[in-house]
Amino acid sequence: MEKLFIFLSSIRWQDIIDISLNSYILFRFYVLFRGTNVFRVLIGMTVLWFLQRIAISLGLIVTSWVVQGIVAVGAIIIIVVFRNEIRRVLQAKNLKSILWGLSLKSAVTPTEIIVESVFSMAKTKCGALIVFPGKEDLSDAVQGGTPWKGFITKEMISSIFWPDNPVHDGAAIVQGDQISVVSAILPLSHRDDLPSYYGTRHRAALGLAEATDALVIVVSEERGDVLVAKGNRLREIRRKQTLEQNLQEHLGTATIKKGFARKEGLEIALAALLSMVFITGIWFSVSRGQDTLVSLDIPVDYTNRPDGTEIVDTSVKSVSLVLSGSGALVKSVTPDQVNVRLDISNAVIGQNSFAIAPDNISLPPGIVLREVTPPLIEVIIDETIRKQLPVQIDWAGKLSPDLILLDFTMNPETIEIMGGKRILEKITTIYTEKVPLDNLSGKGEITAKLALNPAALKIAPGSKDKVTIQYLIRKRE
Amino acid sequence: MRYRFLFILGVIVAIQLLLFFPLHFSKNVSVASADQLKLFEAVMCEEIYSDTPRNPTSVFSAAKEKAVSFSVFDPVPQKTIIYHNWYHRDVPSARIRLQLKPPRWSTYSSIQLRKTDIGPWRVEITDEKGNIFVVLRFSVTD
Repeated sequence: MEKLFIFLSSIRWQDIIDISLNSYILFRFYVLFRGTNVFRVLIGMTVLWFLQRIAISLGLIVTSWVVQGIVAVGAIIIIVVFRNEIRRVLQAKNLKSILWGLSLKSAVTPTEIIVESVFSMAKTKCGALIVFPGKEDLSDAVQGGTPWKGFITKEMISSIFWPDNPVHDGAAIVQGDQISVVSAILPLSHRDDLPSYYGTRHRAALGLAEATDALVIVVSEERGDVLVAKGNRLREIRRKQTLEQNLQEHLGTATIKKGFARKEGLEIALAALLSMVFITGIWFSVSRGQDTLVSLDIPVDYTNRPDGTEIVDTSVKSVSLVLSGSGALVKSVTPDQVNVRLDISNAVIGQNSFAIAPDNISLPPGIVLREVTPPLIEVIIDETIRKQLPVQIDWAGKLSPDLILLDFTMNPETIEIMGGKRILEKITTIYTEKVPLDNLSGKGEITAKLALNPAALKIAPGSKDKVTIQYLIRKRE
Repeated sequence: MRYRFLFILGVIVAIQLLLFFPLHFSKNVSVASADQLKLFEAVMCEEIYSDTPRNPTSVFSAAKEKAVSFSVFDPVPQKTIIYHNWYHRDVPSARIRLQLKPPRWSTYSSIQLRKTDIGPWRVEITDEKGNIFVVLRFSVTD
């Protein structure tokens, strides 16, 4: 019980948001892509990912490597292969429906009206081709077509396939309770075992049924027959009840009409629950594992230094942190994600001791601090003063043996330096960086930068950071 | 006669006083002149030849093995002591005591150079109390 309480108290508000947000994203993926092949492939990729984890834990090197490769390219495969489905989902829905709407399954197709219309057209020998998509996307198989988006009525179906209607030639595609596209061109079947009286309309119906999981109703213009193409079969339907039953089985509305809304709600709720459980599981496996340790050397940032003071020296430049977390998180930690900041606003002139507390250390989420070495840092603070110091050139190298540096002038001869009082009081000269003599002869002018040592010293604002040297070199007497 | 003797005695006393006071004045001048000791010339050079600096420079090759600090004081009111303090990168290296004699005096100090002496140097010429007359800066190179 105590452990449970400790565990609950260790959960941060960020963790709750983390789980909730990702659960919702997963849930939205389900809502947007359910019923499509994308969702099934996503589930397959997830299973592969779990297989890979199991393979790694069992030490199956090649298996884990192969699965990892498949998962790695899986995202690209999904985007390339299912680009049409993804585009359809994103284009068909506005931002609100993508982020919020439940996007309930398509409205129930009015099969009775369709059956009545089909047999009515058969009676009058009005040819018709009606497509009822299954779960597969038809955009690769179907070409052309005119968007229609009309609610299904008997009159509208009859008018679409009326011989004088410009869009009567081709197939009408039914989506839910609407005819979404008319005059669509279907792929033709190449089978050679079909009866000779089957025309192009029959071959088109069978061609689409072979290529996809769609059901296609054909009304023969010459014979007035009603046929249903599904899979590799093209069957003649004589009774309205049989056609209605076929349609309901295909559309999945045979048994769910009454409990449709309730089942839909249950399915959504279950998906939400599973999303939450799934993400929580991942979150625990990623963020709560404390089995991996890592040691990092992090430089210490000193903040809020009192005005008019400066840090003269510190006992350490960096501290060693021992961090723990799950393997995945610890492996991804880089030194630039970890900061050690020490507030020295209360420091006084002289030596100060500061303890490194957890508050001084910022870590990525899910990473826990185990140890800090050293736990105490000594910081020597000094008053900042300014001092005018003479500059001396640090000549280096070698003049030709027959030459001598007879004279030189320097501008400026002194430089104002800022730094800690204790340091500056001991310093009497500022040296330049090394000025090579090797190539000098005659007279000329060169510039040299100042070499500030210790590095805590700074050139006061307004002072130059280099000197100009005019030299005169002559032959030795 | 008596007044004459007193007059002569007075003159003798006056002469003695005159002789006495100028002695004290001269001493006082001497003390004052010690404060007026002036550095006339100071230079770094490679060697001293005939009491004069030869090859004055600010760069000495360690191969030359010698650096000389030459100084001339004028006036030198009385015998006095000065110091040539040699520093290698702000670290004291040598403190050489030199005596000056009136009325004008030239003196010098030198150090032997080694490979380890490469870097910037300075010589501070000071009086006994440490008051700096001048700072001579130079470098020892390869």
